[in-house]
Amino acid sequence: MRHRATVGRALTLIGILGALASGCGASSTPPAGGTGGAWTPPRTPWGDPDLQGVWRYEGAVALERPKEFEGRELLTPEEIAERDRIEKEQAANRLAGLEGAAVGRRSIAESPIRGNEYNSFWQDHGRPRQVSNRTSLIVDPRDGRLPYTAEALKAEARAQARYGVGPYESYLDPDTGERCLTDGVTALLWQGPNGGHNMIVQSPGYVTILHEEYRDRRIIPVDGRPHGAVRQWFGDAVGRWEADTLVVETTNFLDRTNYEWANIWTRASETLELVERFTRVSPDTIEYRITVEDPATFARPWTAVVPITKLPEETQIYEYACHEGNYALPNLLSGARAQARSRTSSR
Amino acid sequence: MRIFRCIAAGVAVVAGITAVVWTQAPPAAGQGETYRAPRTVEGRPDLNGIWQAMSSAHYDLEAHPARPAMALVPSPPRNGIPGLTRATPIDLPAPGIRALGAVGGVPAGDGVVVGGAIPYQTWAAARRTENAANWLERDPEIKCYMPGVPRATYMPYPFQILQGADRILLAYEYAGTTRTIHMTEVKNNPTPTWMGLSRGRWDGDTLVVDVSDFNDQTWFDRAGNFHSEALHVVERYTPASPHHLMYEATIEDPKVFTRPWTIRVPLYRRLEPDARIREYKCNEFVEQLLYGELGLVDPATGRPPK
Repeated sequence: MRHRATVGRALTLIGILGALASGCGASSTPPAGGTGGAWTPPRTPWGDPDLQGVWRYEGAVALERPKEFEGRELLTPEEIAERDRIEKEQAANRLAGLEGAAVGRRSIAESPIRGNEYNSFWQDHGRPRQVSNRTSLIVDPRDGRLPYTAEALKAEARAQARYGVGPYESYLDPDTGERCLTDGVTALLWQGPNGGHNMIVQSPGYVTILHEEYRDRRIIPVDGRPHGAVRQWFGDAVGRWEADTLVVETTNFLDRTNYEWANIWTRASETLELVERFTRVSPDTIEYRITVEDPATFARPWTAVVPITKLPEETQIYEYACHEGNYALPNLLSGARAQARSRTSSR
Repeated sequence: MRIFRCIAAGVAVVAGITAVVWTQAPPAAGQGETYRAPRTVEGRPDLNGIWQAMSSAHYDLEAHPARPAMALVPSPPRNGIPGLTRATPIDLPAPGIRALGAVGGVPAGDGVVVGGAIPYQTWAAARRTENAANWLERDPEIKCYMPGVPRATYMPYPFQILQGADRILLAYEYAGTTRTIHMTEVKNNPTPTWMGLSRGRWDGDTLVVDVSDFNDQTWFDRAGNFHSEALHVVERYTPASPHHLMYEATIEDPKVFTRPWTIRVPLYRRLEPDARIREYKCNEFVEQLLYGELGLVDPATGRPPK
């Protein structure tokens, strides 16, 4: 539905605002490729590294590097401190109802913020975001930017221009999120209006990831079997353990490039291939590393490293009945029809 | 891996098991003494695997004869032709599904309700009949809505039991729905839900799941059997052989039924060596049905809708 693209935008915005920002909180997150030192990750009863729990990305670092940090991968300690101060201030403002809709504190009607109330309703404003010394989640290419092909760049610009504007001639015109299908598997671990809650459950031979939004689900066999023959929205994932790291390779995606995607870098295409690495580097942190390769969208592979935070043990993910309650889609279409009628009659 | 203890198998084996099960009287509730399930490393009965019902319970929980379609219309009287006064002796498939022919037909079923009939209150029996008469418009399955409990269990799609230590997942293929069975304490849902809140415990070899916090939007089958928000289901999953589970669900809803009632359906292990739960993202499949005529253009015709 409408919200998810907002998170992508919010992350970008935060990155831009984040010319600010500072650095505590990041201390528990080792730098990309860190080993975690002497800490030994827990094991499941059957001996696999234990990644279970409810996790989400709580960082303030955007996927792509904002323009003002061009040529700089890392922030100075002063910049990190400032960024942290601002994150905390913003979190406090949100809770006080000074920014966003602040659900439970202030009604949307009373909110002093105009224009984004609906979308901010979906944001989780519970905790200040963690800052780090990085200026982008993308670590490769070194410029921290998505390496779009020229054609994909145009498609992305088109997607941005259509956002909230249309045209909405049929149910094929809203993006995949608004159609309650998915926002794609690429950003599953760190995107989503709820902060991207992901519940990981392990059983012998499987790692299952349940993403709250759209009830996206990945049942990943880790038993050495080869890829299957079936193309899917989420592709065909097979996993394996390399020491304490879960490595997941995903291929056999459906071609859904002819659908509208809120962010085309998450779209499914037949040439998309993912390699993901999950390493629990501390009790509360998984270092998630994803490499995305897709000649249909990118001129070269890219890699992001995302610290994922474990939420308190009692955290649940809830049922996401998106399609069942999709009033947005019929309303969008009937609104477009009413607009067309009024244009005709005013002529 | 070790989940697929039996690799070969195939149709013949499945059919054989089926025959054995159907010729035996179903075991009474809690009766699993004749078979002891293999154990997980933690010593729990091991229910891991991909399971599927083979019954016609998804059409109708109660006993029913075969018929041409779920939605029927009376055949028209033959007026004006001397000597031909009989109408077609059976009702006809509703126009919307007539083109499916035998594929749209409904196989007979002996019913899975213990004792035979669902004990509806009078008003509710009338409502069920009305639901059945309006099946095409009302059945949430047609719209790809989450199927609820126990319906998800015996739909003609597989589901996987992924047995973790504190959480057991039931991953259904239909509509990509997943239930989490909480084996530790959990708070109630903040709002009613389609699939309910599941709390599990072990009773010998049986996984007992208490399911509550439902909304009133789901049905039990394609025959219009329904419930209210007061629905409370207790499920029992009992290993009965290496390749089948007995599934039992006791359904309680004082707003709709006169007393609790129970269904019993065997579930069979999918034995294909690479059996998996695949995507069945059916909301993509029903958009034309639900939204095709709402836009400026109907994608089915490329023209403005009528």
